[in-house]
Order: sequence, then structure tokens, then C-alpha cells
Amino acid sequence: MSDEPLLKVENLKTQFFTEEGTVRAVDGISFEVNEGEIVGLVGESGAGKSVATSSIMRLVEDPGEIVGGTVTYKGKKIVDFEEGPDGELRQSPEMLSNEEMRKQIRGKEIAIIFQDPMEALNPVFKVGGQLREFIEINRNVSSEQAEEIAVDMLREVGIPEPEKRYDSYPHQFSGGMRQRVLIAMALACEPDLIIADEPTTALDVTVEGQIIDLVEDLQEKYGTSFIWVTHDLGVVAEITDRVNVMYLGEIIEQADVEDLFYNTKHPYTDALLDSIPRPDQSVGELKPITGVMPEAINPPSGCRFHTRCPEARTVCKEVHPTHEDVSDALESSHRVSCLKYENVGYDEAEPLDTEATDAFGGGLVEARGEEQ
Amino acid sequence: MGRLRYTISRLLQAIPVILGVITITFLLTDAIPGDPVSIMLGPSPSAQQAAAIRAKFGLDQPLHIRYLNYLVDVIQLDLGTSLYYQVPVTEKIAERLPITLYLLLSSFTFALLTAVPLGIISAKRRNTATDHVSRVVALFGVSTPSFWIGLMLIIVFSYWLGYFPATNLILPWTSPSQIDGASTQVDVIVKSIHHLILPTITLGTLQMAAFTRIERSSMLEVLGEEYVKLARAYGVSERTILRKHAFRNAQLPLITLVGLQLTSALGGAVLTETVFSINGMGRLIITAIQNQDFQLVMGTTLVFGLVFVIGVIVTDLSYAYVDPRVSFEDSE
Amino acid sequence: MAETSTRTEADDAGPEQPEARVGWRYTLTQVRRDPTALAGLVLIAFMTVVALIGFVDGVVFDFLSEYAVFADMGVRQYWLAETVWVNPATDPANARILRPPVGLTNPYYPNEPGTMAHPLGTDHRGRDILARLFYGTRIAITVGIVSTGIAMFLGTFVGAVAGYYGGWIDDALMRGSETLYAIPFLVLVIAFMTAFGRNLTYAMIGVGIATIPTFARLIRSRVLSVREEDYVEAARAAGVRDRNIIMRHVIPNSFAPVLVQATLQVGVNILIIAGLSFLGYGAQPPTPSWGQMLNNSRDYMLPNPWFSIWPGIAILITVVGFNLVGDGLRDALDPRINN
Repeated sequence: MSDEPLLKVENLKTQFFTEEGTVRAVDGISFEVNEGEIVGLVGESGAGKSVATSSIMRLVEDPGEIVGGTVTYKGKKIVDFEEGPDGELRQSPEMLSNEEMRKQIRGKEIAIIFQDPMEALNPVFKVGGQLREFIEINRNVSSEQAEEIAVDMLREVGIPEPEKRYDSYPHQFSGGMRQRVLIAMALACEPDLIIADEPTTALDVTVEGQIIDLVEDLQEKYGTSFIWVTHDLGVVAEITDRVNVMYLGEIIEQADVEDLFYNTKHPYTDALLDSIPRPDQSVGELKPITGVMPEAINPPSGCRFHTRCPEARTVCKEVHPTHEDVSDALESSHRVSCLKYENVGYDEAEPLDTEATDAFGGGLVEARGEEQ
Repeated sequence: MGRLRYTISRLLQAIPVILGVITITFLLTDAIPGDPVSIMLGPSPSAQQAAAIRAKFGLDQPLHIRYLNYLVDVIQLDLGTSLYYQVPVTEKIAERLPITLYLLLSSFTFALLTAVPLGIISAKRRNTATDHVSRVVALFGVSTPSFWIGLMLIIVFSYWLGYFPATNLILPWTSPSQIDGASTQVDVIVKSIHHLILPTITLGTLQMAAFTRIERSSMLEVLGEEYVKLARAYGVSERTILRKHAFRNAQLPLITLVGLQLTSALGGAVLTETVFSINGMGRLIITAIQNQDFQLVMGTTLVFGLVFVIGVIVTDLSYAYVDPRVSFEDSE
Repeated sequence: MAETSTRTEADDAGPEQPEARVGWRYTLTQVRRDPTALAGLVLIAFMTVVALIGFVDGVVFDFLSEYAVFADMGVRQYWLAETVWVNPATDPANARILRPPVGLTNPYYPNEPGTMAHPLGTDHRGRDILARLFYGTRIAITVGIVSTGIAMFLGTFVGAVAGYYGGWIDDALMRGSETLYAIPFLVLVIAFMTAFGRNLTYAMIGVGIATIPTFARLIRSRVLSVREEDYVEAARAAGVRDRNIIMRHVIPNSFAPVLVQATLQVGVNILIIAGLSFLGYGAQPPTPSWGQMLNNSRDYMLPNPWFSIWPGIAILITVVGFNLVGDGLRDALDPRINN
């Protein structure tokens, strides 16, 4: 176990250049993944989680483009931008080329599990063949060896009669089984980092539980690191070691999972936790977060969450918070982007009139960034 | 096992359709006005002669009896005798059908061989100059009347430049003695191809254009699918993705279109044969209708229908071969 | 079963709304932005104007020229008038009637180039080709639209019934249309016309009927998917009659692909009917239809190849126009939203 993190993301920025404007989908996020760690990436739909993971794999498609930041994996620069002579950011020569990404990183070092197992498998090819092909590409083995590994892997993920199932087609599997196949694919290539992009969202809750147990077992056995993307805090609590909470393209809180739940610092995270219905408590009414996440084309000024924050003050509309470490004595690093913890006059400022501070049940109000 | 069972069920399904074709043919032909008797005997037949002819051809029976008689005949492969040509219908069809099939096969092959690569390249190089050019060509291809293309080709390549002959189609297995200027079988084959080119382009252009458009849009759609993204995420090269992962899936709508195009292709064959004065089934059927040659009309329509049904079955089976979801119904 | 996921108010918004009917304004903006669709509209507009001119000449002037007062003024039906350039009785080579387009020469008479009086040349009976094209435009567009209209209305009816009621009705109708499909299109229509009449009206009707399966199939598949939608079930539960459900919910939601198909079908039908005319099963002489003009031109390909070229180009322009608009509509109405 070395001290260097396996994956280090620094100030990653990805934008989409559309007709309506530039979408700042990922606007400067930084986090780390250490060996053997499961790191959660949490947020609502639209927060930019999938774009972030696509960026790490360098699989962002037109009209999207990675425009800044550095991503280092085992010392190699997956993304590296430097400042050119004209002040503009451009790709540094150290950044891996697309060919290098393809041959060295994708599948071999970093693998990805997609959200929708229905769509992720090619319907016209046998499942075993698809598995074998990926194994062949990413590990130095012959075709026959790859087939053996594939069958073994299918067995590992709990698919009964793996030799027979090897010759089956995707539509002959149920959803949960298909997701197991995708997990098998990822593990079979023996990467050191697996990105799981909402792997259980499309599944039944019971199946979800099985998959999570499976992943935990496998992770213990192989020691692979994970980035687990989800919007489900329950899953986060169960499986992750550290958590990054994303909102509108930014990471607004980062902590070990227990610290996040018991020593929440950011109002957004607080609100998320509050909104979860709990089976051990009955409440008069549920407390959803008011409003809808604004679009990333024109994010709100200052702190991006101020339009829905129950603790917003006037200063929150003006100053953009910096991401700082506010860990208490016994915690490991706990970072937050909130003016409450900065010296910019939050305490003195007046409370802000937002949808959240307004009466309850504000209705479906879409907050745009042009508040005057 | 799934595929075999599917094949058999498909073949069985064809039977009612064929029956339907026979029935419709019969009814339609019956609706054509005109008295076959006066055609055969001239404008003022004597009552006796007329009655004799009617009895001979069974024209005096009620509809359903005639229908059943016809059905029985068809099953025994007796399609009657052509009034106009005075030979058995089957003989006439046997003479003409291979030519039309030769033409159809050739034009479909031409269309597929050009359209598939063109469509793929167009999709791969979306929105570049190559793509735009091929889209324009495809657009014009589906908008131009095929017979006009034939006329233009004849004017330019036959009359003006003299490269290709303007009439007739020769089957490659005809014996050399029947063709002037041919001494060996190879000569015949060469001549055959020579005569084949202009009609093929004439008939095949429309198909080629339609297939290109579908191939392009289908490829574009497939390239955006999750499983392609997955393959990329696992380090598969773009070439392999195109060639293997995307290709098979993209062909499915094309196969469906080929099946649908059959009926218009048969119509196009009629036009092409007219332009190039080819003695095929197309012209035969038109002549038959014009001459109110009932037996011949029924026979040729039936055969056309059969060809179509076989074509549809072939496309369905091809589809099932490519897409395992069709034949393998089981799921856990 | 409590699901521990983050909830926002968006989740509380209530049951999903039915698939919104794509707004006309939105569609028009999309089409307006698409240069090729605009080009198509321009072409169609151009051809429509041409058709109108043809109509004015062919119908209005024809009518007026019956009256001496107008005839004296010079009002006459232009396209029909046989402006014979040379008397064929004294000039045996009636190829001289076939004038070449302006600036070009007939290879048999190199000293007599075409003139502006007949800018596209004349046909085998001395009639001006340009004028006949004008008249033919009206025929082509009318015939294309009417036959498509027939197919669309009847096909929608058949498809809606088949899709909505399902069961044996569906099977019967679908098998029926499949068998109809098995007989080559052209043959079917020719047989139809031989039975009923070899003129343009029956061509339109015949082609229209033969095209019904295309629309029926389209509507049927739309109906099948719309039928499962919640709001249809809700309507049925509320007691709304089947017929009203079809009219008010099913058909409007299926309209978009039908419109696209109809636009494209007009182009296709124009081609088909040109083919029929080419074979002699369309407008009867002396009425000019493009296909028929092409048929006539076959015998004169050497003296005046241009006779074969112009009608084909006219067909091409018109059909390209409809195809461009149809494609543009299809792209505009595509519900898939790009990121």
C-alpha cells in the first residue's frame, strides 16, 4: 500500500458546447481514490456525476469536451491541462493520447459498469463471447484462456450453470443477472479501479441488495478500488468508505462516510439526509428539498445552492465558496464548500428569501441564475 | 433449435398467404371485362362455336366452381394455356421467369454492394463533405424515375458512346449457338454481362439510394447505443467497433427494408424490361393483361406472388439469423 | 417498502403526463432552421406555381378561348395547340417537327437550331415541350396528392380499427393487406385500370387503394403503443366511448409520423404514376403527363434526345422537393432530444 492515491482528480472541468449555450457540466471538481477504497459520488440527476466519470475515462462525446484540470492515475496523466502562452488552457504534452488511453487504461486499468444492463450488452452476440473479447483485449491471454476466465468469472458473480450461460444471449437473462455479467466483465479484466455508474438504479430493491453484497465480497477478495456513483444515500451508507457530494457540477462536501452522516456540514447534504423516509420513524409529512436543480448552462451566482438553501443569507448570492478542509480533531479530511465556514461575513448577513426559506411546499419552481 | 423451429413455422405461415394470392389473382382476373370468346373467335361467333369454347374452357360454370377447378389445377402445376401465345402457361413462364430473376438478383446485389459501404462511410464521417455528397446522391436516387434513368443511360452509353447494348438480356447459360457473335460459352457469359449492366443500374439505383439512407441512419443510431459505448470503455478499437459491434445490429432495419422493397422492385422490373425491350416476366404480364389472356394473367400473377412470398421468407429468416431475439424466445 | 433515495419535489409532481403532442410552433421553428427542408419547400412552391400556370392555361384559357371575344384577343390554350413548324406532308422527315431546345441543333438538320419560341424544343407533333411540362405539373401534383390522400384516410381508418380492436379483426386486416402487398404494385394497378378504365382518375384511385397498407401499418403500430398509455385507460374507465377515444386521443398522437409518411408518399406516388403513364396507363393523349411524354420520346431518342430529358428533370425536381420536406419534417418531429 503506497501513500500516493490511486486516482487523483484535480480541478476537472468538462463543458458541453450546445446551440443554447455552454453547459458547465463539471466545473472544477477534485477528489482522490486510494487503493482498496470505495469512494461514493452522490448527487441528484443533473449534478454532473456521469459526466465526471466519463471524463475520467476520456469518453466524453460531442458536443462535450474536457476543458481543464488534471487527472492522475498511478502517475500517468489521464487529463492534464497547462496554461498556454495566451493564458488559455490547453492539453499538455504529458496527457495520454487517445490511443494510449485505449490500450493502456480503458478496461485494463480502469473499468466501468454502466447503469442500464438492458442496453449495455450487445443483443446479437452471445454473452460469453462479449466477455471473452474484453478479457482478451485487456489481459495478455489466449482465446481459450480468456474463455476459461470468463466462465470462472460468471461463476464468481453467482450465475448458475456458467458454462451453459456462456452461450446465452443477453435477452435470455433477467435484469439482475445482466448486471452481474457486467460486474463480471469489469472484474475479469483485473483493473485496479472500477467505476460503477448507478449500477443498481435500474434494479429491484431485493436484487439491489444482492448485487451490493456481491460487490462487497468481491472487493474484499480482489482489493479493487471503486468509484460508486449513485443518488441513493442508503447505498452510500452501506458500501462506501468516503463520499463526495456533487451539486451542479461541483463537489460541495467530501468526507468519510460516517462523518458525512453524523457530522454533516453542508446544508445540501443535510437536506438530502432529511428527505430520506426512514422506516424506524413515522413523520407527519416528508421533507423534500424544495425546487429543482437549475440547469448548468447558467448556474446561480455565488454559491450555487443558495436558491434552494434553507440557511441562505444575502452574502451567499454574491460570494462563491471555496472548498476547504473543516475537519474536526478526530476526523480525517472533511472538506466543504459553504460560506458558513468561511470568514466572509455570513453570520452578519441577512437571511435570504429563497424557495426553501419561504413557506413549505413551494411547488415546482425552476430556479434560474438570473435572480436580481 | 430456436432457429429451426422458427424457419419451419415461417414456411408454414406462407401457405395461407399463397392461397390468398391465388384467390385475389383469380378474382381480379375475373373482374377484367372482355369476352375471351370474341377474342378467340372474332367479333361475331356463331352461338354453337361460342358455346363450345365456353364449355371447353369451363367459362360457363359459376364462380366458385371455376375457383375450385383452378385451385386443383394449380396444385397439379397446370396453369392452363395462353390464349394469345397458344402454348401452356407454364412453358411461357419458364421461358421468361429466369430472365427477370436474373435482372432482379443482379440489381439487388448491385444495390446492396454499393449501399452498405456507402452508408457506413457516411455514418462514420457524419457531416463531412463525403457524407453530404452521398446523401445528395441518395436523395436523387430515390427521387428519379427508374425508367428515365434507363432512357438516359441508353442515350449516353448506347447511342452516343456505343459502349453498351440497348436491348435484350442474355442468360449466361444460353448455348453459344443461339447467340450471334458468340462461339464459346465464355463469349456468352461476357455478352450476358455486357447486356446486364445498363438494366441493372436502371433498376438498382432506386434500391441503392433507399438502402444507403437506411444504412446510414441505422448505423448512426447503433453507434450511439450503450453497448457501443461499453465496448469503447473496454478499449475496443474504433475499427473493430464498426466492423463487429455496430455492423450486425445496424443491418436489421436494412433487412426489413429489403423485404419491403421487393414489391416495388418487381414493378420496377416491369418498367426496366419495357425500356430495354427485355423479354421477361414483366412484359409478359403486361401483354397478358392487355390481351385479356386470362390464364396467362393468372399464371404470371401467381408466380410473381410466389416470388414475393419466397423473398419475404428469405428476408425474415435472414433477420432471424442476425437477431437472436426473434428466434430464441426463452428468458429466465 | 421505503426506498432510501434522495427525494426532491420533482418526484412529488404527480403522475406522468401523456406524451405531449409536438407543438406546431416548435415544429415550424425546427423546419425553418433546416436549410434542406427549406429548399424542398422552395421547390414545391415553385412547382405549385408552375402547376397553377398550367391550370390557368389548360383550363381557364381553354374555356375562354371558346368565346370569340377572347379568341380574337389571342387567348388560346397554349399547350394543346399543335404549332407545326413544317408541314409533314411535304416534308417526309417528320423529325423536323422535333425542334431542339434553344441554342442546340437537331443532328439531322444542323442548320436549324432551336429558338426562343420553343425554349425546350418541341415534341414529335410539334407541340411546345415547356408548355406541356407546365400542364403536366398540375396533373402530377394533383394526382400525387389525391392518391396519397385516399391512402391516408382509408389507411388511417383501417389501421386504427385493426390496432384498437385487435383480435381477429386485426389479424384479418393485416393478412389481407399483406396478400395485397404480395402482388406487384404496378400489376395490381394495371389490372385495376384495365378493369375499370385506363385514365388518370382510375390511376389515382388504384394507386391510392394499393398504398393503403403502408398507412394502415403505420397507424396500427402507433395505435398499439398509444393504446397502452395510462390516459387512454383512464378515459375508458371514465366511460368515454371507444370511437371518441380513437378520435380524440389516439389519432392526434399518431399524426406526426403519418404526416411525414404522407409527404414522402406524394413523391413516391408521383413516380409510380409516371411509370404507369409511361406504360400507357395514365393520362390519355393528348393530355400531357410526364410519364407519357417520356414514352413518346422513346422513338425519337436519336433526333431529339432532349425530348427525353426534360420531363424526367421535371419529375426529379418535384419528387426531390417532397422528399426534402418529408425528411425535414421527420427530423423536426423526432422526439429524441439530443444533448
